[in-house]
This record gives sequence, structure tokens and C-alpha cells, in this order.
Amino acid sequence: MSASKSSSSRSSGEDSRRPALPIAVIDIGSTAVRMAVAQVNPDGSLRTLESLCQEVSLGTDSFTKGMIERPSIEECVRALRSFRRVLAEYDIADSKQVRAVATSAVREARNRDAFIDRIYSATGIDVRVIDEAEVSRYTYLSVRPDIEKSAVLRASDTLVIEVGGGSTEVLVVQRGRLVFSYSYRLGSYRMRETLEEYGAADVGLLTAMENRIQRTVGHIRQRASVKDKPNMLALGGDIRFAATHLLPNWEGSDVARLPLRSLSRFTNKLLKLSVDELVHRYHLPYPDAEALGPALLTYVHVARALKLKYILVSASTMREGIQREMVAGDIWTGELEDQIVHSAVELGRRYEYDESHAQHVAKLSCQLFDGMQEEHMLGRRYRLILRIAALLHEIGLFISNRSHHKHSFYLIRNSSLFGLSDHDLLLTALVARYHRRALPKPSHAEFGTLERDDRIAVTKMAAILRVADALDRGHTQRIRTIGVERIDGHAVITANNVAELSLEQLALREKGDMFEYVYGMDVALRGVAAGDGNA
Amino acid sequence: MNKPRTNYINRELSWLEFNHRVLEEALDESVPVLDRLKFLAITASNLDEFFMVRVGGLRMLIAERITRRDPAGMTPARQLEAVCDRVRAMVGDQYTCFNEQLIPRMAEAGIGRLLPEELSRVQLKFVQHIFENEISATVTPMAVDATGPFPLLTGLSLYMAVRLKPAQGKLKPRFALIPLGINASRFVAVPTAEGNHRYILLEDIVSLFVDRLFPGEPVMECVPLRITRNADMSVREDRASDLLAQMEKVLDERKQSDTVRLEVQAGVSRILLSFLQRRLDIGEKETYRIPGPLQLSDFMDLAGLEGHDELRYEAWPPQPSPQVDPTVSMFKVLSEHDVLLYHPYDSFEPIVKLINEAASDPDVLAIKQVLYRTSRNSPIISALKRAAEGGKYITAIVELKARFDEARNIEWARELEQAGVQVIYGVKGYKTHAKVAIVVRREPRGIVRYLHFGTGNYNESTARMYTDVSYMTCDEELGADASSFFNAITGYSQPQKFRKLAAAPIGLREHLLQWIESEAERKRHGQKALIMAKMNSLVDTKIIEALYRASQAGVKVMLNVRGICCLRPGIKGLSENITVVSIVDRFLEHSRIFYFHHGGEQKLFISSADWMPRNLVRRVELMVPVDDQACRRRLRAMLEISLCDKIKGRMLKADGTYVRTKGKGRRKNSRSQEALYRYAQQEIAQAHQRKRTRFEPHRPPQQGA
Repeated sequence: MSASKSSSSRSSGEDSRRPALPIAVIDIGSTAVRMAVAQVNPDGSLRTLESLCQEVSLGTDSFTKGMIERPSIEECVRALRSFRRVLAEYDIADSKQVRAVATSAVREARNRDAFIDRIYSATGIDVRVIDEAEVSRYTYLSVRPDIEKSAVLRASDTLVIEVGGGSTEVLVVQRGRLVFSYSYRLGSYRMRETLEEYGAADVGLLTAMENRIQRTVGHIRQRASVKDKPNMLALGGDIRFAATHLLPNWEGSDVARLPLRSLSRFTNKLLKLSVDELVHRYHLPYPDAEALGPALLTYVHVARALKLKYILVSASTMREGIQREMVAGDIWTGELEDQIVHSAVELGRRYEYDESHAQHVAKLSCQLFDGMQEEHMLGRRYRLILRIAALLHEIGLFISNRSHHKHSFYLIRNSSLFGLSDHDLLLTALVARYHRRALPKPSHAEFGTLERDDRIAVTKMAAILRVADALDRGHTQRIRTIGVERIDGHAVITANNVAELSLEQLALREKGDMFEYVYGMDVALRGVAAGDGNA
Repeated sequence: MNKPRTNYINRELSWLEFNHRVLEEALDESVPVLDRLKFLAITASNLDEFFMVRVGGLRMLIAERITRRDPAGMTPARQLEAVCDRVRAMVGDQYTCFNEQLIPRMAEAGIGRLLPEELSRVQLKFVQHIFENEISATVTPMAVDATGPFPLLTGLSLYMAVRLKPAQGKLKPRFALIPLGINASRFVAVPTAEGNHRYILLEDIVSLFVDRLFPGEPVMECVPLRITRNADMSVREDRASDLLAQMEKVLDERKQSDTVRLEVQAGVSRILLSFLQRRLDIGEKETYRIPGPLQLSDFMDLAGLEGHDELRYEAWPPQPSPQVDPTVSMFKVLSEHDVLLYHPYDSFEPIVKLINEAASDPDVLAIKQVLYRTSRNSPIISALKRAAEGGKYITAIVELKARFDEARNIEWARELEQAGVQVIYGVKGYKTHAKVAIVVRREPRGIVRYLHFGTGNYNESTARMYTDVSYMTCDEELGADASSFFNAITGYSQPQKFRKLAAAPIGLREHLLQWIESEAERKRHGQKALIMAKMNSLVDTKIIEALYRASQAGVKVMLNVRGICCLRPGIKGLSENITVVSIVDRFLEHSRIFYFHHGGEQKLFISSADWMPRNLVRRVELMVPVDDQACRRRLRAMLEISLCDKIKGRMLKADGTYVRTKGKGRRKNSRSQEALYRYAQQEIAQAHQRKRTRFEPHRPPQQGA
């Protein structure tokens, strides 16, 4: 990110092209409010103009009292007002140029809506609370350049970990491909706050912390199915602090290699100091000083469990991930979509689904979705949700073959699918649920709580999924490519190169009712023999 | 001076040695007489500040019964004693210089002082006219007695102390004080038959006609006096929310603080002096009987008398820099190359030009600047006002703790605020001493930040008298750092990690120590190592210890320290590889330049900070790397010139005294300030020459250029 001085930093000053606009990302975390202002270069790369940070104590409030108290809210307002001034100095006025997000400390506060409203009315900054899955997505986006730049990371398994104030993000990337992501409620700040709340004595505190960390580490090892010695790529303010101290020459432009032994020694040293001593000795703000020890301890334990001698430290931040997404415009494209699909496949495998069937239904669903574009008029995002729902529609069979659609629903609902927000995950789970049996009803709890647009979208997608599922009734994947024609108010699906279709036609008669109900036309299946060339 | 009992030289005594070197310039026959007078006036005003701040501070320590020893092993009491001894000798030297050398030389040159008894009848009439019409209305005697209320005397102002004959039938003498007013000129020109410039001092006129202020009362005695008050103002800003209001309060408090010095003209009667001492609560130790006019600092005005250029150094006007084409915008200049200026040899104009252009450039979004001791009617201030009125975002950090300049600062700071500038009154608990300006400009490629870093203040008038470095660049990383720096001092953000800058109070000292240690380490490994550094003062013991270690490792350390230097050079086994040179010449040496060989990488920095705890711990300061090749070459050449001055340079000896450097070899006659001035002259002349010898064809206008 840090463009070194080069010809590109020089500008003629006489050019008349439209100036490139700077963008800003604001991140309201549990110990600090941060802002990064960056210049988007014509080639889409980013150049950081400023990074700002002001300490706040949202985490203390949220994790111990369950709500953000008045003084902390005003603390945020003050910080954001000064950020506003900086935005004005760069003439950043368009809301498209600014994205403000809040993470776990705000997410978990009972009064989060009041908090967001207060911020908006006092500063005009529209803060969006993001969920764990979005945090994972941004984390992935932020480290992707690190991974791409490094031949070692590209070629091997990498456990990406960020210990935040309220939660710990874990991603597993295999040969550049995301295979696992999870957000643990193990936060450095949360740990200290809750343990101190329970009155853990000084000596006990460390043991309690270690126990807590160990439990999570076990889970990571088990779930992430990582090889014995993956690389560990750590990010976050606390590990950056440690790396800058232990490797004074590290400038942050590339990944640092930090020996676990020295990190461990440093961590023990810090844990022996009181928060006041940390503040004094290292010029740290109080909330950071409170979080530092537990955070580093978490990294050390994870690295030990993975039997590593070194951990890699990235200077990337979630804000950079958000910036990249702002620049890319639409996340529902290309590589990121592949990553999301990939993590769905991983989930399916965990529940031992019939992968060929699932993949096939997903493919047919997409073809139908594309063919029915004029009727459903849904965007790309829904195509992806449908695709994921199709992939996972039968995972409920892992639990039981009775009402497996309902099992599929809650398994998806409670999974952590990389890149999908909580809301998108709900839609996906509902589409999967309605792939058989009852039609959606407002009385169904989760469906009923949806906004109207979402209810309609779910119905449209589920109708397509039912048809696609019927087309592979035999789990044989014989119908490969299909087309959709509209003939006299009927939807006619043409299956190429298949002559005998009675099984599928029967299934379609069973499952096409929803399609007819939703799209106002019945659906028929017609085979086209090889060589007909019918489209 | 004191024998080397410890590895450190006492800072007060070291400062007095510096003042002595200035005095040597006043005593130097080869210096033109009006410049000698100027140097003498400087030593006097230096001493005034020294009494207010340092002597005042020592006395406070003693009053608090603090006996902790300084690094040189001296208690406050011992220091005060040594300081007073040294000052008494120095005052003697000052007046020897004044009475025996400058007064006769000036008279020879046609600027003669007239004593009352020397006035001709016509001149006496003229002076009487002046007294009656201009002076008598502004001088009001205040009667004082042994017990009644005593007026609050203003520090560093002249008064006449008058003893009147006891009232009829009484024995007790009566006394009065006459303030000489700050508006009246001290030097009254008197017409002469020959057309020479003759002057008479204000106090002489008053004492000549003092009878008229006390009609019917015989005046027995009338002598000038002056007091100095303790002004060590530690601004207790954390306890008051409104810094501005508090500063105004501090100004008032200063008028009331303790008297630390009484100066009175020699020859004063015992009876008058003991009356004054009693009423001012001041002892014999603090009393100075002055064998000549008091307040020699006023003679700066006389040294600046119009005309008489033959009695002064030839003028060395600032040279335009060949790096800056005056017809091209500073934005274009800086987008092509960095600019490094050495004032006052190079003109300060490019900095004013940058801020001026920024103020009116439609693409400039914001300007941020630290203003510390800027000049009255500064064009920079008016440019910032104009820019703010034009809707740009202007931030000015105005430092109210600039010593003795507060009153002036508060006034123009308010004007800036009224124009819409966001004015930040410094950082709580720290004095903002860094000199930095950012211009944020929107360009087709995106945001570009134009930067100025300096070692001196944004003050066009001191930029003509102080040697300072300016570095201007649009380097991306320095720009990001400078923004972070402003975000930190405006409270927009906690301090962030810098990419290239180092800042006090967070990390500057550590950076310096690292650089010094790393030279020592390289030397221990058999590499070439060299440290060169130029600054005003070297006091910080941590840094001095590091320099000793470097010397012990064999690193050659060449220091140019103009003022206080607590390091003892040339002690075997400790500091034999360290040399310290001090330059006192016509310009005040003020730049801070640091060089570390760094295995051949040759790191160069400029800084606002001296190596003093004051700068490294209690001030906001910057150290800026100069990475541009051409600028580095220039800066290094200048540093080297400053390190070998054989005319105005003095070498510090281990005992704390200084000796003139002896010229030998190629640079036998090198006088650094002259060399630097010629260097600047040469550069611009060569640039003109190149222009003239290169043909520039008229080309048809280029498409799309």
C-alpha cells in the first residue's frame, strides 16, 4: 500500500483529466474508531492518504453491560466529527465515497439502533453494522494481496487469524482458495472484561484466559481440517504492535516473519505489566493496552497448537478489504463468488451430501434462472443465493431423511458461510427449505419476518429450485443443458440430447405446482434428440 | 571554568560561555563597529533572558530547598554561585568593551554620545525644549518611602531613582521613582555644528532637568535603575480549560513575580541603594552596580541607525534559488524535483510563494501549518486568511508558549479565527516547535500533498538573520506522515506509526539513539562510521552517553553546537573522537542537520529539535529525512562547510572553555558563513550562465501539451 516515492507520486499538475476521487472507510470497533482515506489510482490500486484512530470504550460497555452507554456514544460522536472534518478537507462529500461499518461491540449492544441513529443525526455518517460473515469477507479481501504476492502462501495452507476486541476471525486458505471461515466469540477485550467481571484473581486470570483460548484453538484445529503445519498469517493491531517492536525494520509493506519464541517471550513480559505500565511504557491508549496481552496470548496459543516456529504478520486491515470492495463495486462477481461457492461445497461435504446431484441441481437452477430472467427480474446476488441454496438443499439428509428440508434449513441458517451476510444466509436457508413440501406461508416464522421483496424473491427462487431438482430426480445428471421457451403461456423446458424423460416429467408434475403458482404458467419438459439443434 | 569532575559541563556555565563568544565578536577589532555594538547589545539582551528564565529558575529551586545535583555534579546553590561569579566578570567585560572601545570608536566614526556637561549652549536649549515638550509629559514621579506602599516595577524597564533633600526640620531623606516610559526613544539626536550624528541618552536628559519635576525640592541624587523578574512560567494548562484565557493571566502574573536582579548605575549613594534593596527585597548578591548606561540591549537601535553602511558588514542579501523558477508555479517546480534551501543565503521567498499560490489555487483543498513566532504583518498569515475566506480548509497550530511572544500571538491568532481558519492553540502539556506546512491539492492523478519542513520559524524577518534549512517536497510517504502528524496534534487521531518522520515526544530520542548506536555497532564490526551533527544546544544526557559510547567504539563524531554543550570532548577513553565547534558570526546559527554514515547510505536529516530534554521530551518536534539526491548533496556540503570554520569557529575544550580554531591547509581561511553566501551567489550565477549559453529555439506550439 505504501507507494514508495516514485515517478507515480509526481504529477504534472497541468493535466485536465477528471481527478481521481479519494475514498474513506470508517470502522467502529470495540477499542477504537478508525478511518482510512485512500486515493484510488487509475489502475484501481489504492494509495493510503491518511489513517486515523481514536480510542473509544464501546467494548467495555457492550461486552459487560450489554449496551453502549451515553458517554461512550458521545466519545464516538466526537471522534467521528473530527473525521468529518478530514473528509471535508479532501472534499469527500458523496456518500458513495465513504463507507462506515461497526463490528461486534455495536452489533451486540441492545441499543445499537439508538447508537446508529445518534451517530447519524450528529455527524451525518451512516453506519452499517456488519455481521461475522461480512467481517470474514473483508478480512479475506484484505489479505488476498498478501497471499497473492507470496509464492509460499500461494502454494500452501494458510490459517489467517485476526484477534479483535470482540471476536476472532479465522480463515483457512488452501492454495489461494478459501476453504473455511469462522468468527469466534473470543475477543481480547471481551476476554479481559468478562473475566475481570467474574473477579478472576490476578494469577487465575491468566489461567482462565489460557483455558478459554485453548477451547477455541481445539475447535479451530478440528473444524479447519488444516494440515499439521500450515502457515499462520496474523493480522490486527495487537500483532502489528508486537511485530513493530520485535522487528524494528519492518515497514509493513510486506509480510513479516515473527519467531514464535520472541513473540511468546514478549507476550509474557507484557502480561506481567499492569495496564497503566503498558500505557506509560509503550505510549498506548488504555483500551489497546487492555486488549494487547490477551490478544497476543491467543496468537501464541494458536501457533503452538499448530506446532509453528514462526508466524507471519500482515499489516493489512479490514479497512483495506472494504476499500477494495468499494473499488471493485460489486462483490457478486468473479473470484469472490467462486470463493463463496467453494465454501458452500466445503459445508456440503461436511454433511456428506450427494455432491454430483447438488452440483447438477445448482447448475440447472442457474440455467433456469438465466432463462427466466424476464419473469423474475432478480439481480445477480439472488442468482448466487439460489446457487448456494441448490448446492445445499439436501444437506438435511445428514440429520434424518424425514423432513430433511427442515434440517437443511437450520443447518444452513446456523452455518458460517464465507462471504454471505447473515441476511443472505437466511434467504439461502429458506430457498433450500422450500425445495419440497409446503409452499411458503407468512405464518412460517422466519419467512414471515422477511420484507415483502425478500419474500417474493425467496418464492421465485424456490420455485426454480423445485423444477431443477425435479430435472435430476434420478440423481443421474442425464439432463445436461436446458433451454426455456415460452409457448402460449406455458414454460417449456427443452432438454438437449435426451429422448426418454418420463421420470423427470412425472417429478415435474409433482413439483411444478409452485412454479405455476409463482410465475403464472405451467411448466413442461420436452426432450430434443441429438442433432435436432433445437434451442 | 570548573574542572572536569564529571563527564558533563554545567549547562548554565556552558551557556555563559556562549554569551562570552558573542561578546568576543563585540571585542573583535576586525568586526565593523556597528556590528560590534550589535553583538554587545545581543549579549545584554541574552543576559536579561538568562536572568529571567535560568537564574530565576535556580532561585526557585533553592527557595524550594532542592539540592539535587545536575549531571555536572553541582547543586542549585553551587550553580547559582558559579553563575553569579561568571556574570559579574562578564558584565565587567561588557562595559570595558563599551566604554573603552565602542564609545571612542563610534565617536571617531561620527556617532558620538554627548554627556550633559558636554552640551553647548545651543544644544542645551535644544535638549531643554525636548524635555519640556516631549519628555516631561510622559514621566511622572512616584513618591516612595520606607514603609508605605511600593509601586510594582516593570521588569527590564528603566527607572530613575531620585533622592530628595529631607523636608525642613526632618532628617529622613525622601525618595521618588520616575519610570522612563516605554514609548520614548532612548537616543535623542542632538544637532551639531559639524553635521555629525551626536546623541544624548534619555536618562541623561531627565537627570539634567529632574529639578523641574520636583519644584521647590532640592534633588540630591538621580540615578537610573532597572530590575529583572523571575519569569520561569510553567504554564499550568491542565488545570484551566481555556488555554487562551490562561495565557493572558500568565502575562499578568509575570509582572508580579520575584525580583532576581537589581541593576543600578555605579556611583549610587549607600543611602539610596540600601533603600532600594530593602524595598525590593533584594540582597547585595543580586545587585549589580553598572559602570555605564544600563540596558545595553537598547543599543541595538543605535546599531541599526540608518546610513553609516561603511560601519557595518557588507550586505549579504538572500539569493534567489536556481532550484525555483519564479515564473513557474511552485506546484510544478515541486512536482519535478525537491527543493532544499539554506536561509538566509537562499531567499525565503519560495515558501511564501508556495503558501500564496496555495491560497488562490482553485485545486487546493486544504492548508495546514504550524505557526510559531511568526512575524508581524506576515504575508503567510494574510495568505492563510485569504485562503480561509475563499472557502479552503485551513488549520493553523498557533503555539502560545513561544517565550515572550504570547501577547503578539494571541492577537493575530484571533484574526485568523475570525477569517474562518481553524486555530488550534498548541498541544496540552507540550510546546509545538515543529515547523511544517502541508498544502493538499487535488490533481488529475489524485490528491498530492506539497510539504515544507523547516528548522526555523515561518518568519520572514528572522529568516534574514538566522541560518535555517527549508526542505520542500511532494514525497508521498512524507505527505502521509505529515498528515498523521497534524491529525495527532489536532486531536483527530492518536499518533500513528510514521513511515519516514520521527517526532518528539514520541520516539525522536529513541530514533536518534538508534542511529548513533548503529554507527557505533558498525564501527565495532570494522566498518567505516561517521556522525556529523549541527544544532544549537546539546544537553540531553542519554544522547551524550550514546555519543561517548560511539567515540569509545572509534566513531568519528563531528559536532557543530552553537550554544550550550554539556558534552566534554577530547577526554581520553571517553570522548577523544569527538570534536565540538561553535560558530558565532553575523548570522545566528540556527539550523539542525544530522548526518549518519550508515554503511555508506549517508542518512541526512533536518530537524526542529535540539538535543535537549526540553526538545525531546516537552516539545512537539520533527526530524525529517532528506532523501532526494540533489538535496542531500547540497545539505551535506553545507554541513561540512559549517564544521570547518577557521575564522569564526571555536573549538570546545574538555574543561568547557573554547579556543579559536587554528587555520591550516586548504581551508585555512574558511569562514563558513561567507563560504555559504558565496556558494549561494555562485549557484544562481552559474544558473544564469547556463541559461545564456544554451540556445533555446522557438518551437511551434505542441499539440496537447
